[in-house]
Amino acid sequence: MTSTTLAAPQARAGLVADRLFFGLAVFATAVLVALVLLDGQPLSAALILGGFGLGVAFLKAEFSYTASWRRFLTRGEAGGLIGGLIVVAVAALAVVPVAALLPNYGGAIAPLGPSLVIGAFVFGIGMQLANGCGSGTLYTAGGGSGRMLIALAFFMAGSVFGSLSLPSFLALGGIDPVLASDYLGPWGGLALTLASIALAAALIATIARKRGASFRPSRNYVVGGIAIGLLCIFVFAAGGHPWSVTFGYTVWGAKIASALGFDLTQAAFWQWPGPKQALASSVLSDTSSLTDFGMIFGAMAAAAAAKPFAAGAWPPAKSLLAAAVGGLLMGWGARLGFGCNIGAFVGGVASGSLHGWVWFGLALAGSLVGIRLRPLFGLSRE
Amino acid sequence: MRKVYVAVVLLGTLAIVGQHLMSPSIGRAVSPEDFAGACAPCGAPCPSKK
Repeated sequence: MTSTTLAAPQARAGLVADRLFFGLAVFATAVLVALVLLDGQPLSAALILGGFGLGVAFLKAEFSYTASWRRFLTRGEAGGLIGGLIVVAVAALAVVPVAALLPNYGGAIAPLGPSLVIGAFVFGIGMQLANGCGSGTLYTAGGGSGRMLIALAFFMAGSVFGSLSLPSFLALGGIDPVLASDYLGPWGGLALTLASIALAAALIATIARKRGASFRPSRNYVVGGIAIGLLCIFVFAAGGHPWSVTFGYTVWGAKIASALGFDLTQAAFWQWPGPKQALASSVLSDTSSLTDFGMIFGAMAAAAAAKPFAAGAWPPAKSLLAAAVGGLLMGWGARLGFGCNIGAFVGGVASGSLHGWVWFGLALAGSLVGIRLRPLFGLSRE
Repeated sequence: MRKVYVAVVLLGTLAIVGQHLMSPSIGRAVSPEDFAGACAPCGAPCPSKK
């Protein structure tokens, strides 16, 4: 049974596809793909479709970094956390050697310093309050959570504030990126990266066992982790860099701010060549925006294909406030910390860059604080 | 919530299309990391370059 009315279709026995939202998602994706193809950019179309696939994969696997980190920190359950490491390991198989060997490809690197430490920690607090990280915000907002639409709006605002703060935090000092393949070559770098992932998984499993909790990832997390890892490789092949999410939010926020009359062009961040061009050019010229749009519509299509879309009521005001505060903190933290779970952690570690592990440790510590703050907003610690 | 979503999707798509059509085309999509001197996904410079 299908429905095209604005009122949510009534669920009866079996599946009820929400044809209105499924159609909207497919139509919007087709429009964006057509626009970039008209510009003669098949790789941009591939990035949109890669993002669409990621949206479907995250939603169908119910893959959540935020919830799995929380389950680990509160109950010791490590299956989700180890599922997240599967994504990184699969992506690393391509990213480390290709980035080191082919001139048009590069890994996700970032300097080590106070900016990374503070940004990752603040991001960790924000993701527990918002109940979603960078990718989580995309696929849950796309999947019909009005609460996460609020988080996304404030994520954009926070990341614009972060773009204004980042240069002063970088001035505090730091060291250049540390990349495994720079020291050990492409294959030695890959071996060290895979060994570091295995060591982290073993450490996490040991902690889980000591706390009497499970460390085996569910079938959803194994299959979803492999699928998402393969899609990360697809996005890397099309874009030339590992998948990243949050720079797109910064660009959207900056374009909205500019449309409202704010002049960001004099800010130091927006005078760096990359951000400067992103602010001046079409939003469809930015690789992270392309995958972000695809992911939102992919999650929407997958959600609408399975059940009435966005049929729930709005959550309580305190929960919406948590989404707003969490979004702001994540946005600010993502700019200072050079990305989110995807751009900094998955992309960084899968590139063999030390900053990925530093980000992970600090964001996990921030999550511990965020979990303690959740009851203030009427959210459970679990 | 469904009405909000319909509005967000339609207005968002229209905004993307409008902004794309009114902006200069630069050809291939890029990331800030593609630019010389970039040391992070956002295009931040390396500490050693300061």
